[in-house]
Amino acid sequence: MTRLSILATAAMIALAGTAGAQEPPKDPPVIKIGAIFAMSGQASWYGQVMSQGMRQAVDEINAKGGVDGIKLEAVIEDHKGAGGAEGVAAINRLMSIHGTKIVLTSFTGPTLGIAPIADQNNIFLINGGGVGVKMVGASKYIVHNRSLSSDLALGALQVAQNMGLKKMGQLHWKNDVGDYIVSSVEPVWKKGGGSIVATEAVPQGATNMDTQVAKIRAASPDVIGMWMFTPEVGLAIKRVREFGMKQPVIGVEFTANDAKVAGATAEGFLYINDYFKPSDDQPWSKQFAADYEKRWGKAPEFYAANYYEGVYLAAELVKRSRKKGGDYINGERLKAALYENPKVDSVYGGQMTFQPNGVAQKRVALFKVKDGKGEFQEFVQIK
Amino acid sequence: MDLVLQLFVNGVINGSHYALLGVGFGIIFGPTKITHFAYGPIFAIGAYGCWATATMLGLPVAAAAVCGVLAAVLAGVLSYLWLYRPFERRGSSHLVVLIASLGLFITLENLIGILFGTDTKVIPDISPGIFLWGPVVVTSIQLWQVAALAIVALLLFAFLRWARHGKALMAMTDNGEMAQIIGIDTVRVSLIAFAVGSAVAAVPAILILLKEGATPHMGFIAVFMAFVAVIVGGIGSFKGAIIGGYAVGIVENLGMWKLPTEWQSTIAFVVLFLILLFRPSGLFGRRLR
Amino acid sequence: MDYLLHILVMVALYAILAGSFNLLIGFSGLFALSHAAFFGVGAYTTAILATSWGLPFPWPLFAGIAIAALVGLAIGLPALRVGGEYLVIITLALQIIAVAVMLNWTSLTGGTQGIGNVPRVWIGDLPLDTAGRFLPLAVAVAALSLWCAWRLGASPFGRALRAMRENEAAAQAVGKNVVAMKLLVFAISAGIASVAGGLYAHYIAFVSAVSFTIETTIYILAMVILGGTGNLAGSVLGAAILVVLPELLKFVDLPPDIADKLRQVMYGVILIVMLRLRPEGLLPEHDAKRARVPAGLGEGGLGPLAPPSAADGSVTVEGRDLMKSFGGIVAVQDFSIDLRRGRIVGLIGPNGAGKTTAFNLLTGFLRPNAGGVRFRGETVSGRAPHAIVRAGMARSFQDLKLFRKMTVLDNVRVALPNQRGDRLFDVYFRPWVVKAEERENLNRAMAVLRFVGLEAQAGELAENLSYAEEKLLVIARLLATGAEVLLFDEPLSGLDPGTMEGIFPIIRRLAEQGKTICIIEHNLDVIRGLCDWAVFLDEGRKIAEGTPETLIADPVLAERYFK
Repeated sequence: MTRLSILATAAMIALAGTAGAQEPPKDPPVIKIGAIFAMSGQASWYGQVMSQGMRQAVDEINAKGGVDGIKLEAVIEDHKGAGGAEGVAAINRLMSIHGTKIVLTSFTGPTLGIAPIADQNNIFLINGGGVGVKMVGASKYIVHNRSLSSDLALGALQVAQNMGLKKMGQLHWKNDVGDYIVSSVEPVWKKGGGSIVATEAVPQGATNMDTQVAKIRAASPDVIGMWMFTPEVGLAIKRVREFGMKQPVIGVEFTANDAKVAGATAEGFLYINDYFKPSDDQPWSKQFAADYEKRWGKAPEFYAANYYEGVYLAAELVKRSRKKGGDYINGERLKAALYENPKVDSVYGGQMTFQPNGVAQKRVALFKVKDGKGEFQEFVQIK
Repeated sequence: MDLVLQLFVNGVINGSHYALLGVGFGIIFGPTKITHFAYGPIFAIGAYGCWATATMLGLPVAAAAVCGVLAAVLAGVLSYLWLYRPFERRGSSHLVVLIASLGLFITLENLIGILFGTDTKVIPDISPGIFLWGPVVVTSIQLWQVAALAIVALLLFAFLRWARHGKALMAMTDNGEMAQIIGIDTVRVSLIAFAVGSAVAAVPAILILLKEGATPHMGFIAVFMAFVAVIVGGIGSFKGAIIGGYAVGIVENLGMWKLPTEWQSTIAFVVLFLILLFRPSGLFGRRLR
Repeated sequence: MDYLLHILVMVALYAILAGSFNLLIGFSGLFALSHAAFFGVGAYTTAILATSWGLPFPWPLFAGIAIAALVGLAIGLPALRVGGEYLVIITLALQIIAVAVMLNWTSLTGGTQGIGNVPRVWIGDLPLDTAGRFLPLAVAVAALSLWCAWRLGASPFGRALRAMRENEAAAQAVGKNVVAMKLLVFAISAGIASVAGGLYAHYIAFVSAVSFTIETTIYILAMVILGGTGNLAGSVLGAAILVVLPELLKFVDLPPDIADKLRQVMYGVILIVMLRLRPEGLLPEHDAKRARVPAGLGEGGLGPLAPPSAADGSVTVEGRDLMKSFGGIVAVQDFSIDLRRGRIVGLIGPNGAGKTTAFNLLTGFLRPNAGGVRFRGETVSGRAPHAIVRAGMARSFQDLKLFRKMTVLDNVRVALPNQRGDRLFDVYFRPWVVKAEERENLNRAMAVLRFVGLEAQAGELAENLSYAEEKLLVIARLLATGAEVLLFDEPLSGLDPGTMEGIFPIIRRLAEQGKTICIIEHNLDVIRGLCDWAVFLDEGRKIAEGTPETLIADPVLAERYFK
C-alpha cells in the first residue's frame, strides 16, 4: 500500500467520522508519545529539562487512569542538538519501532528534518521550545505551544519604547532564532523612532563574550536587547554588569539556570515571556510547580512546563478525536480536533488559543528579576 | 580608541587563558607526541572537582581549587596509564591513539553530564572585584587569569630548567629516541608530563568556573584552542605556546574592532592559516628538514 | 521498517565519506581535517541549485562535484608546503572558515536558517521521498563512488600515492610528480565526498551548517581509522559500525534521565576497545592474500638495458662549477664532474665533504646557487627531480627511503617508467590498456627482482627485509626506473664483505650493459674493486680525481685520508 493511499484512507476515515457514520474507535493498547530532544551533547540541558516535564505529565495522566482508560507511554529519542539527519533517524525509529503518531519535537534543525516525514506519515508534532520563523508551518501537522520568539522580542521593544529608550545595542545568538529576532526587530524599532547602535553575535554555546560586550559598551546604547537563550542570557547579563554598564537590559528568556549563572548581577533584568505564575489563583500552575520540584528537586523551567503542557495538549486532543471513532490518533485527526476548538487549558493559567498558523497565543507578560526570580510586572499586548 | 584599548586588554586576558591551555597541552604533546583530545574533559574535571568540593563539602574556594587540580592530575595520570600506555606498548600509530583519545573524550564528557547534570555549575556568592582603569574595565578574575599564566609559566620554567625530571622532559620533547638511548625512563617522564599538563589545565578551568561557570561540554573549545596555541607557536616550544596563545587571543579581539562579531571564531583561524602558509612550522617551531 | 532503511541510507552516505577520506589519509598520508567541508559544499550546492534554480537531479550533484573539487584543490595547496601536524591544523582552520562562510553568507546559504524544502529526486513519476525509495539510489551512487575510489586506489596511480605516503622524496626519486598527485587526490577525494552531500540534501530535504562541522569530520575520521587506513572495505565497515552502533545501543534499556549519555559512554568505550583489539583497524591495508605473487614471472630476464652502442665511454652527464650554500655555509663549491656511459665513477671523501649534496645537485633535489648540469647535452638543472628521473637520471638514498609498508614487488613496480596507469584518464576510461600494462609490468618487475636476487621476497613487506635485502631492493628500485644514469648513495655501506661480494657483479653488469653509474663510497676496497674512475671531495671541493689506483697512491691523500 502506498503512502498516498494510506493518507487517503486516513482522510476518508476522518471524513466518515465527521459525517457522523460512527465507527467504533480503534484503541491501541497504549498511546505512545514520542519525543525528540537533545538528550546528549552540548545542549543536553534542554533535553534533560524537557524530558522531565514530559515524563511528569505522562505519569500524572496515567495515575489518573490515562486517556479514556488508555495509558500513555513516553518514548524519548536523542537528536544531540545536531542537524536534520539526527532528527530523521529519531523519527524513523519512533515510527518503525513504536508506531508513534504524536511526537514532541525541539530545535530547528531536527524539526525541519522531521517535518516532511511527519507530513507523509500523518504524525502530529508539538514543539514547546524556541520558535524561529522556519518552524512555523514546517509541517502540516506542527503546532507550537510557546509564543513565537520574534513576538516576544517585539513585546520587549514595546516595553523599551514605553520607557522612552532610543538607542539600542543588541546581543544575539548566532543561530536561526537569534538571527530571526534581529531581522524582525530592526524595522519595528526604527519605525518607532529608535536607532540600533550595535548588533553583536555570540555563537550558541560560547561562554566568552567579552569582545561583544566591549563593543556594545563602546557604542553606548541606552538599552540592551538580549536576544539569547539559556544559559547565555545569564552569562551575558553578568558580563554586561561587570563591564560597568548600568543601562536597562531586556530579553526574552530567563531561567533558573540563568539566575544561577548571573547571581546578583541579574537584579533588574527585564524580560518578556509567556506568563507563568505558580500562585493560589493559578491552581494548576501551582500544583505542577510543587510536584515538579518534589520530583526533580528543582523549580520547573519554562521548557519543562511547555513539554508538560504538550503532553496534556496531546491527551486532550486524543480524547476529543476518540469521540469520533475510527483510527483517531494521527496528525490529520488530531489537528482537526484542535481546530474544532482552538482554546485549550494551559498550565500557564487559563487557556491558550491556537492561531491558524499553529502557534499558541498565550498571555505574554513583562517580568523583572528580583532576588534571582522573575517578578510579574504587567501583561503585554503585542501589537 | 577606548574600544581598541578595551579590546586589547580583553585580548591579553583571553590570550593568557589560551596560553595556559597551550602550555598544559604542549607539556603533554611535546614529549609523548600524543594528541590528547581528552585534555578537554580533563580540563572540565578540574573545574568540576573544584565545584564539587566547594559546594558539596563546603571547602573554601582556594582549598577547593587545589582539589580541582588534584582531580585533574589523577584523571590525566590514569588516562595515560589505562589508555595511552597500552597503545604505546603495542606501538600503535599516532592516528589510532588520536581516535582512542577521542573515545575517551566522548566517554568522560558524558560521564560528567551523568554525574553532575547538564546545568551550568557556578560557585555561588562569588562576586569579582571590578576595576576601572580609565576607559578599560577588568575584573579580579580576569587579572587572576593573567597572573595565573605568569605564575605557572615561571614555575614550569624553573621545573624544566633545573629539576631532573623537567630536564628529562625537555630532552624527550627534543628527541624521544635519543632520550631513551641516554637512559631516560620515558614512561615515567610521560607520566610526569601527564600529571603536570593536567595540573596546568585545571588552573584555567577553575578560573573559567569562577568567571563563566562549568558545563560538561566546556572542554571542547578548551582543547581546541590549546591545540591551536601550540601549533601557532610551534610544536615543542614552551615559549611558542605562550606567544601562540597571546597571538590568537589578541587577534580575535582586536580583529573585531571593525569586523562584525559573527566572524570572531573564524578570524583566529584565518590568521593561523596565513601564519602556517608563510611559516610552515609555526612561529617558534624548529624547521623540519 | 523505515527506521532500518534510514540507517542503511546513512551507512551508504557515510561509506562514501569514509571511503573518499581514506584516499587522502590512508592512501596518500595527507592528514587533512576538512572532509566535512567537502560534504557541506556538495550539500549546499545541491540545495541551492535544486531549490532556487530548479535544476533536476543529477545536475546539481555534478555541479557539486566540480565545486568541491575546486575547493579541494584550494585546500590542497597548503599541503604542498606543509605536512604532519601542520597540515592537520591548517586544514582544520579551513574547515572552520568553511562553516563560518556557510553560516554568514546569508544571501547564498540562508545563513543560520539553512535551506529547507529541497526538492526530492524524482524517478519518472515516483518521488524518492521515503527511506525505502531513496535507499536503492543511495546504494547505487555509493557503489559507484566507492568504485571510483577503489579504482583509483588499486591502480598504479594508487600505488604511487602510497609510495608518496611512505616517502615523498623517494617517490620523486622514482619519477613521480608529487605536486600533481597531491592536488589531484585532494580534488578527487573532495569531489567524491560532495556526492554524499548532494544525496544528503535531497534525502533530508534540509541543509544547515551544523551538519558539516569539525565534529562531523572527526566522526568520519573515526570510521576510517577504525576500519583500517588504506583499505576501502575497511572504511565501509567502519562507517557501518559507527552508524549502526549508536542505534543498536538504543535498544539497551536504561534509566531515561541518563540513557543517551550512558549510551555515548558505551560508544566511547567500545571505540577504544575495538582499537585496542585491532590497532591496525578492523581490516588492515595488507593481508596475506594480496601479497601472494604468482610463480614463474620474469624468467625471461631483463633483456638489453641500454642501446646497443652502449658502454662506449661517451660523456652523458656533465656537472659544471656547481655551488651550493646553506645560509652562508658553503656545502659544495666549484664542483665539476663527468659521468660516462659504461663507466663507474666513485665519489669519495670524508663525512661532511659534500658528497650527498653533490648528488642532490646533480639530480635536482637541490638547486645549485651557481653552475649547471647537462644531461645528454641538455641542461637539466632547474628541473623538478621527478622530471630529471623521467629524462633518465635517477638516484638512491643513503638512508634507503624504501616504501616500507609496501611489498617488495610494489616497491619495484611503482618505479617502472612511463606508466599509463599513472594517468587518471587511462585509469578510468581505458582500463584495458592499464590492465595489459600491469601484466607486463608485473613481469618486468619480477625480472628486476630476479636480477638482484630478491624474487623469493617479492610478496614481503619491505619493512620485513633484512638489511642486506633492503640494500638489494634499493638497487632494484633504482634499476626499475629504467634510467640511463644511476647514482648510488652508499649502496654497500654496513654490509658484510660476503654480501658485498654478491652485489659487486650486479653493479658491474649494469655498467657493462651501458648504464652510466656513479656511487658514493667510503670503503677503499669497494672503490678499487668497482670503480673505473674516482673523484675525491673534501669540504665541498674536488681535491683530486683519477683512477682509483692513482688516487690511493697519491701521497698527499694517503697522508691525510687513507691511513
